[in-house]
Amino acid sequence: MNEIPAPAALLPWAPERTGEAAPAPGPERRAPGALAQLGLALRLAWRQLRADRARLATAIAGVMFACVLVFMQLGFKGALFDSATNLLQALRADLFLWHPLTEASFRPERMPRSRAHQALADPDVAQSIPVYLTQVTLRNPETGTKRAVQVIGFDAAAGALRFPGIEQVAGALTRPDTFAFDLRSRPEFGPVARLFRERGPFPIELNGREMELVGLVEIGPSFGADGNVVMSEVNFRRVFERRPSNIDLVAIQLRPGAEPAAVQARLRALLPGDVAVLTHAELVQKERRYWEEGTPIGFIFLFGSVMGLVVGMVIVYQILFADIAGHLSEYATLKAMGYSDGYLARVVLGAALILAVVGFLPGFLLCLFLYDFVAGATFLPLVMTTERALGVFLLIFGMCFAAGLLAVRKLRDANPADMF
Amino acid sequence: MQAPVELREVSFAYGSGELRRLVLREVDLRVAPGEIVILTGPSGSGKTTLLTLIGALRAMQLGSARVLGQELLGASEAARVRLRRRIGFIFQNHNLLGFLTARQNVAMALELDGALSERERLARAGAMLEAVGLAGHAEKRPAQLSGGQRQRVAIARALAGAPGLILADEPTAALDKQTGQEVVRLLRDLAKGNGVPILLVTHDPRILDLADRIVAMEDGRIVHAALEQAR
Repeated sequence: MNEIPAPAALLPWAPERTGEAAPAPGPERRAPGALAQLGLALRLAWRQLRADRARLATAIAGVMFACVLVFMQLGFKGALFDSATNLLQALRADLFLWHPLTEASFRPERMPRSRAHQALADPDVAQSIPVYLTQVTLRNPETGTKRAVQVIGFDAAAGALRFPGIEQVAGALTRPDTFAFDLRSRPEFGPVARLFRERGPFPIELNGREMELVGLVEIGPSFGADGNVVMSEVNFRRVFERRPSNIDLVAIQLRPGAEPAAVQARLRALLPGDVAVLTHAELVQKERRYWEEGTPIGFIFLFGSVMGLVVGMVIVYQILFADIAGHLSEYATLKAMGYSDGYLARVVLGAALILAVVGFLPGFLLCLFLYDFVAGATFLPLVMTTERALGVFLLIFGMCFAAGLLAVRKLRDANPADMF
Repeated sequence: MQAPVELREVSFAYGSGELRRLVLREVDLRVAPGEIVILTGPSGSGKTTLLTLIGALRAMQLGSARVLGQELLGASEAARVRLRRRIGFIFQNHNLLGFLTARQNVAMALELDGALSERERLARAGAMLEAVGLAGHAEKRPAQLSGGQRQRVAIARALAGAPGLILADEPTAALDKQTGQEVVRLLRDLAKGNGVPILLVTHDPRILDLADRIVAMEDGRIVHAALEQAR
């Protein structure tokens, strides 16, 4: 097997063979361009990763794990905050008044009804209607179990507070002891919407009192309540025996062409300090901030994301480190052949970034599936946005890069002088 | 013509202070173009250190060493890395990259040369493997080759970049007698054909007769330089 070619073999470009002069021995060579070098380093990294399938699979699994964890944590966080603000998000009006001490819509601070009338003093305010909020129980018409529901009481016919479906039920709601049900409420309330569509208005027990369901609206469940119920201001006051002077929210409709910011400023100057004048966006933002900052929810998800990144980084680092430690003599040989430390560092970092890409892609696809699956199971609005996909990719990229930087230190142990 | 290797009063010590240990004492050595020099001597005599200094793998401390026209005393790390690209190294172990084929391993020596395209690199690597008698093994990985074949791939890799100097350290240590002699003979023939000098460190008495000159070292000094008659 160790046969030697019969005539003493010559170098392919030996003068004896080609008849030309031999290349001058050992000329200084032009180094390849930076881009070509990067390409070659990446290719070497990929070939090394590819050689050990089991190790590559472990590394990809590690990156995928981090990817899925971060995506799910961010998804849950976003979904919970979105759903937390669902109620206020759905209620549309030009301006709102509410008590400055109110932190969240499920626990409103009451204010005098007269503030709603005072707002009418501004010439650009067309309507200013009081809104009552409370939480009571609704009995499931099928199983008979009771569950907390958010009740919104206001003059639906006025048109100052808008959300899908309200115009169709406004007329029916003026009758005594009637209410409309949010068809996007969680299914624990029973098939209320289906029953209504099948047989029309029917009685349901709300807060221990038999009331008639006369229509459906669309709002969506939120953190504070699993479902929503809408009724007229009059019915609200009668059913819950609320003193009319204590209201929770004021919805203001402006005249067409009015400048909301200007009206907002004027109302602030006009009204006493026991009300805050907010636009819809500010109202939602205020509610969101309560859940983000006033509760440990944001921190919990941040912690989960960071843990995922740390575990992923450790796995990638371990893989890269083992690759270097297991091939120290080969790396040292490359250094002896004239490969610089920087080139070899690029090989290791290249391996890390390849892992980021090949781990992120399956992780992303898995998360698309998981988002759908979890959204279907929990009714949480989990949606994959481009920003989130990009953000997580950058996080994973950074995670792998950090792991690569840590692993590069091991290259110092590859000393070509020790090779002899 | 300038000698590829010219050392003058090269001294080298490991450690410092109390622990300082001198391993090279004022070594003078000159290798002529195309010359094959074998360095022998007991272990600890400093021959391997000398080889790493000439190969620009270690920083010089004292004396002067011109290798392929580059003065190594005070040379920067970058200058030494550049010089290494013009030297072919052959190690005791083949040190091939296990995840690359024989051809890709040889091509690694050419990837630092920006003048070559990928196709030219692979073609030249294939020609090199043919020259070392491994024409049919170019696409095999090192694990699929015998010890002698691996060492021949290493030789092909060392020669692929058309180096100006070849440094070898115990290239036969891991091989049996027959294979070892064949490998070194092959190395010599290939180098001779191109006029490339070889500096070879070995304990192996079976390959001494292949040298033009044998340099014996002891205790950091060159004690005996025998000129072999042309065979």
